[in-house]
Amino acid sequence: MKWARAVLPPVIVGVLAIVAWELTVSLGRIAPFILPAPSAIWNELVEQRQNVWEAALASGENALIGLVAGAALGVLVAMAASRFKPLTEVSIPFAAVLNALPIIALAPILNNMFESTSSIPRRLVTAIIVFFPVFVNTLRGLREVNPIHQELMHTYAADGWTFARKVRLPGALPYVFTGLRQASSLAVIAAVVAEYFGGLQTGLGSRITSAAAFTAYPRAWAFVVGACLLGLVFYLTTLLLERLAMPWRTRLIA
Amino acid sequence: MTAVVVSSVTKIFNQGRTDEVAALSDVDLEVRDGEFVSLIGPSGCGKSTLLRLIADLIEPSTGTVTVAGQGAAKARKEQAYGIAFQQAGLFEWRTVLRNVELPLELRGLSKRERKARAEQMLALVGLEDFAGHYPAQLSGGMQQRVAIARALAVQPPLLLMDEPFGALDEMTRERLQSELLGICAKTNTSTVFVTHSISEAVFLSDRVVVMSARPGRITASIEIDLPSRDDAGRQSPAYFDKITEVRQALRGTPASAPSPRSSESAAAGTDAR
Repeated sequence: MKWARAVLPPVIVGVLAIVAWELTVSLGRIAPFILPAPSAIWNELVEQRQNVWEAALASGENALIGLVAGAALGVLVAMAASRFKPLTEVSIPFAAVLNALPIIALAPILNNMFESTSSIPRRLVTAIIVFFPVFVNTLRGLREVNPIHQELMHTYAADGWTFARKVRLPGALPYVFTGLRQASSLAVIAAVVAEYFGGLQTGLGSRITSAAAFTAYPRAWAFVVGACLLGLVFYLTTLLLERLAMPWRTRLIA
Repeated sequence: MTAVVVSSVTKIFNQGRTDEVAALSDVDLEVRDGEFVSLIGPSGCGKSTLLRLIADLIEPSTGTVTVAGQGAAKARKEQAYGIAFQQAGLFEWRTVLRNVELPLELRGLSKRERKARAEQMLALVGLEDFAGHYPAQLSGGMQQRVAIARALAVQPPLLLMDEPFGALDEMTRERLQSELLGICAKTNTSTVFVTHSISEAVFLSDRVVVMSARPGRITASIEIDLPSRDDAGRQSPAYFDKITEVRQALRGTPASAPSPRSSESAAAGTDAR
C-alpha cells in the first residue's frame, strides 16, 4: 500500500504525459522531423533494439571506465588534499578551473591526440567530468570531522593513517556518494556527447547524430531513449551501492 | 600509588597575544586510587581544562601532570584512562558493539577477545540486547551508556568524565549516576568527574573539588561521606548538609578557612541570594 502510494503518482503522470504527447502530435499534425510521436519512437526502438543494445553497451563501457577512473582519482586526490593543508589550498582553485573548462569541447582535441580507433578520448572526457563532483564532495566530507571523534582518537593514541581509515573515510562516505550520484549521470552524458565530436563511432552518441543526419528522427529519438535508460541504470546502481555501503543509514529508514 | 597528581599547574591560552587567557592558575590536585573526585565550578573556571590536562589533550604552561605514576602523555599512549564527554560521540557507522570494540581494536586485541570484552562491558551498562543496533537507533541516555562502556572497555585504572550526564533528563541522569557508582565500585576505577550540578557532585563523589573563575583555581576541597549511595542516601541529612557546604564554597562563603578576599566574596555571596 505504502509502496503503491509512492510509485503510482509518478507512473500516472508519466503515462498521461505520453498520451498527451501522442495526441498533440497526431491531432496537431506536427511534422515528424519536428517532433515524432511516442508510438513512432517506440516502433523504432523495438525495430532497432539490437543496435540500441549494442550502442548502449559500447557507451556504457566507456561511461563505466571513465566513471571508475575519475571517481577513484577524485577520492584519492581529496584524501591527499585533506591530509596536507597546503594541498587543499592549491587544489580547490585548480579544481574550480577544471570544472569551469568546457570539457566536452576537449573531445575533438583529444581525438586528434589518439588514433581514430581509440576509445581513450571518450573515456578521458568522462573521467575528467566525473572527477570534479567526486573530488569536491569527498574533500568536504573528509574535512568535516566531529571534534569529539578527533579527541577520542587522540586519547586512543591513534596515528594519522588509522584515524583516516577508521574515522575520516567512513565519516566522508555520505559525501562521497553525493558526489557519485551526480557523477553517475554525468558520466553517461559525457560518454554519449563526446562521440558527437568524432573518434570511434560505436556508441549511442554517434548513432543519434547519424540518424539525425539521415533525417530518421524517430530512430534518433529511439537512441536518445536508450541513452536515458542507460543513465537511469547508472544512477540506480549508484543508489543501490550507497545503500549497501552505508547500512547504518538504510536501517534507519526501514 | 596515586591515580592522578597535578602539581603547580598553570595553563595560559594564546600566551603572549592580546587575547591571552589564564585558564588555570597554580592548581594542585591529587586523586587517590579508587577515589571519585568531582570538579565543580561556574562556567569558565577551568574545570574542563583541568580534565583535558589530565587526559593530555592539552599541555600545561607550567607544572606537571602525573597519571598512574607516569607523565600524562605516556599515560595517554598506554590508554591508562578512559574518557567520556557530554556528547556521547559514538561513531554512527559502527554498531553499538563495534563502538565499544574500537579502543580495544586500536590496542591490537584479537577479534574474539575484543568481542567478548565489549559484550561484557555492554552487559555492565545493561545494553547487551542492543549490541547490533546503530547509535542513531538509541535514545540519548542509551548512547551515553554506550560511551561509558566504551570508556571502560580497556579496563583503565582511571575514568575521566566531562559532564557526561549534562544533556540528559533528570530521571535518566539519576539512574545513570547510580549505575556509574556501581560500575566504579565493581571495577575499582578512580574517577575525575566534571559537573556543574551540586547534587550530582555530592551524590557521586568521595571528594568535591570547588573551583572559581578568572583565573581558574581550586578554592575548596570537601570530603563527602554519605551513609549510603542510593535513594536513602539522597534523602539523608548528611547529603543535604554537604550540598549546603558545596553551595557555600561555590559562593565564596566557606564556613572554615577564610580567604583574604572573604569580605569581598561574602558580599558577592549575599548578592547571589
